Amino acid sequence: MPDHQRRVYNRLAVLRAERGLSRKQLADKLGINYQTIGYIERGDYNPSLELALTIAELFRLPIEAIFSLKPMTPLSEEVFRDPPAEPR
Amino acid sequence: MSTTTSNRIEYLPRSRRRLLVAIALAGYPVAVAALAALKHTSLNRWLILAVFLLLLLPTLATLAVGYRYARGRIDGRRARLDERDLSLRQQAYALSHRVLAAILIAATAITEIYLTSGNTLLLDANNFWPAAMWVIVYLPALPSLMLAWIETDQPADA
Repeated sequence: MPDHQRRVYNRLAVLRAERGLSRKQLADKLGINYQTIGYIERGDYNPSLELALTIAELFRLPIEAIFSLKPMTPLSEEVFRDPPAEPR
Repeated sequence: MSTTTSNRIEYLPRSRRRLLVAIALAGYPVAVAALAALKHTSLNRWLILAVFLLLLLPTLATLAVGYRYARGRIDGRRARLDERDLSLRQQAYALSHRVLAAILIAATAITEIYLTSGNTLLLDANNFWPAAMWVIVYLPALPSLMLAWIETDQPADA
């Protein structure tokens, strides 16, 4: 990744493991090389907006659930996070 | 080249790739400089040629590795280049241009300083061939070498 680029964090590895997909299988579905999946997972390559949207569509998740400019918290933490206090 | 060797080249760590690129870039000028220095000695011509070829060998080997590493990606012959491949190719060409510009500027500056110091430059076939060979060898190889230089280590398979 070029030095001037900001790192984009992602949950690709977790989602891929959850769906039982290998890098090769996911890459084939996305029409890219399997190494690219590894580079994205490691944060060495920031996918284009088009590819990020395609990934989100494939996992049926909003894009911000997969990619973020801030380090991502574990999914379990997000799922079981305390709900916001109800307004009185 | 066997598949195992090809795989090994593909998974070469960046530090080793960079070392190979440095050898590829420095090897030829070193061999030519050694040849120029040895020409003025009383050494046997065949021995001089042998030394020159021996010094040239690592350059040729590393150029071959660099070419194999980037094969299909720099020349676009791989059936499917994805967006990362295309982005890397663009970066490799841009870096090649910068390296080439730096070398040409340095060569021009050195020649200019040499000439303005009252020296003359004889341009004949003997003096011109090392430069011509440099252009023939390095110009097509530079993008491949730069790709090998910039690409980060491949992620472990999973």
